[in-house]
Amino acid sequence: MDLLAALLPHLVNGVSLGLLFALIALGFMLIVGVMEQINLAHGSLFALGAYAAFVVMAGQLPLPADLLAQWKQVPAGWRYVAALVAAPIVAGGAGMLLELCLRRTYGKDVLYGLLFTFGAALVIEELIRILFGTRDYVLPLPRGIGGGFVFLDLIYSTYRVYAGLFALGAIALLWLFLERTPYGAIIKAGAHDSEMVRALGINLTRLRLWVFAFGTALAGIAGVILAPIWGIRPHMGVDAVVPAFLVIVLGGIGSFWGAVAAGLMVGMVVGLSGAYASEWSLLSMYLLLIAVVTFRARGLLGKRSVLEV
Amino acid sequence: MPKLNVSRRRLILSTGAVAAGATFFGPWKTLHVYGQGAKKPIKLGLTCDASGQYGASGQDDLRGIMLAVNEANAKGGVLGRRVEVVTVDTETTPATGSRVAERFITRDECGFLIGALHSGVANAITQVAAKYGTIYLNTNSSAPSEAGENCSRVKFVWDGNGANFAKAAVESAARSIGKNWMLLTNDYVWGHTTSAATKALAEKSGAKIIDNLLVPQNTRDFTSYLLKIQQAKPDVVAAAIGGDDIKALRQQVADLKLDRKPAWINNQQDWPDVWGAGINSLFGVFGTTWYHKLPLPGVEDFVRRWTAAWPDYQIAVPGNVSYNGYMATRELLRAIQRAGSTNNIAVIKQLEGHKMPAAERMQHFDAYIDPVTHQVQQTIYLAERNPAPKDDTDMFKILSWTKPDDAKDDAAPTKCKLVPYDKVPTYEL
Repeated sequence: MDLLAALLPHLVNGVSLGLLFALIALGFMLIVGVMEQINLAHGSLFALGAYAAFVVMAGQLPLPADLLAQWKQVPAGWRYVAALVAAPIVAGGAGMLLELCLRRTYGKDVLYGLLFTFGAALVIEELIRILFGTRDYVLPLPRGIGGGFVFLDLIYSTYRVYAGLFALGAIALLWLFLERTPYGAIIKAGAHDSEMVRALGINLTRLRLWVFAFGTALAGIAGVILAPIWGIRPHMGVDAVVPAFLVIVLGGIGSFWGAVAAGLMVGMVVGLSGAYASEWSLLSMYLLLIAVVTFRARGLLGKRSVLEV
Repeated sequence: MPKLNVSRRRLILSTGAVAAGATFFGPWKTLHVYGQGAKKPIKLGLTCDASGQYGASGQDDLRGIMLAVNEANAKGGVLGRRVEVVTVDTETTPATGSRVAERFITRDECGFLIGALHSGVANAITQVAAKYGTIYLNTNSSAPSEAGENCSRVKFVWDGNGANFAKAAVESAARSIGKNWMLLTNDYVWGHTTSAATKALAEKSGAKIIDNLLVPQNTRDFTSYLLKIQQAKPDVVAAAIGGDDIKALRQQVADLKLDRKPAWINNQQDWPDVWGAGINSLFGVFGTTWYHKLPLPGVEDFVRRWTAAWPDYQIAVPGNVSYNGYMATRELLRAIQRAGSTNNIAVIKQLEGHKMPAAERMQHFDAYIDPVTHQVQQTIYLAERNPAPKDDTDMFKILSWTKPDDAKDDAAPTKCKLVPYDKVPTYEL
């Protein structure tokens, strides 16, 4: 019983962390699924979302002084809502630009796309450095979701609970969108057989553009949610893109529920090892990947390859 | 969801290839202060991080170094020669530090290397510098090992280290706060050596270390560690967490209001790390070697010169990192002047044992370069969050200042073995 009581907070923490990992990976997974493109700039767009949220929340918008003063008087809760809207717009807009430039690599060796998105990641990070400097920033939060609360005699972060629930909501909404709307059906069809989608008269070029925008917008939202936990700094994208890549490979490339399950597994492993074998906490996710891929090369829920016997 | 046309193996291999390429080819940047006149300039290679865990601090270090260089050039240079610098981002990565140092020495013909935050990077640069006999000033890496087992005849260590700060803080905390201690240790050489020093001192003072949580570098979420600390209920947590990791930890501790209980003893808090997170995230007692509001002669003038040099810089005032960069560079240039030559052995001899008056260093006590370990022995300050700041920059309340010899790392001389002069390759550029 004592062991369970000691373990429970870390299990809760693991689930919450896992949901956040899944949130980071979802946009990445969507783009890989439909575009067959590993977007190495995903982390940079995640960072862009965090910076956009900071600009909105801290009132650093390029507005006349009187308007800016008025904006700063707006309650923090409303500014936070505005940040949640602005960040995906900025990240999604940047993602659209990226996709327009990326088109020349379609149909060519996958390395071209990888190199292009890697270059884009460096450019975005450097632009952030030029605009905001190398220092880090703290995203101000509305009072209601900051601070802590006592549960089982321990202080928990209110924001971590909020972030976990937000991630859960985002995952559910994305699933509903993909499964219950005609747009989701088109996206899934595009991922399954893009030539057939084109033959049915659907504009594949536009579909790819919007999927890329949607995926990168999700990266922007993840940036807003993770910013108060990780802090905002130019290279924060690297912190996101590595686990995102790991989660989609672990879950099975292109699998929605695979990504969610993998995110939860990674969160649980990182959370528990952080408490009981702390020096292994970051390494544990890579060990998990090795363990899973060794016995199941296509990941948890990935489709079987025709080459597999 | 979909079936891919690209094989997974190829996808992963390609991604790996891109990542490996990215690691190897860093963004090279050079900054030249071109020499004028007939005499060959004295060239310094500045190994400052611009990215990675200590990117912000590396750029702060660079500004202190450049101020000293610019001031020397404004006075006519050193030995009648202008001082020229070249700088490249060492990316808070030992492999990059090593590569940059090699390039500075062999290709750019730098006679002196300056700069470091990360002890792994500093150690990597030291290995290269020792191979060529190039004098290297480790400005800001504060691992005790830098002046201990990793010391070098060619390296001079300018920052106070983890053992110095532990000596200044641990004994009184063990006496006045409580005996149950927990350590929170960044899992690399600085964290380990700092926590080892803290542990030894705490146990000597009668405290018991109930756990040591190792924190991997680049940890951003400390929730599991904070839960573990709450479950263990220690009287004191001694943290040796640095760079971006301490920024994240500070934010999360402040958010949960865990900054009052247990008592926190943090090691040195670098000014660029504090500046980003703001005053409200400061917690516990922590160390520093310098503060811009020390009530000492020369401080205001230095702050004025620094801010005039960097009016648009994101950090409004100099802190310990920029201060160390400035002092190290100024003393190196003075040593060259005193030696009357850039001969490395002559300059090393000028630096070894060199005494620096408190008034010149803007600290409370005279400092000196320990000839046995090559570490600058200096005043060690303990501070806490300032409850009554005079302005936005006034974040520290200085609690105490410890004399250099009272904070000296007693273990370092037994670990540091400097090679004889005749084993050091000589040069004069």
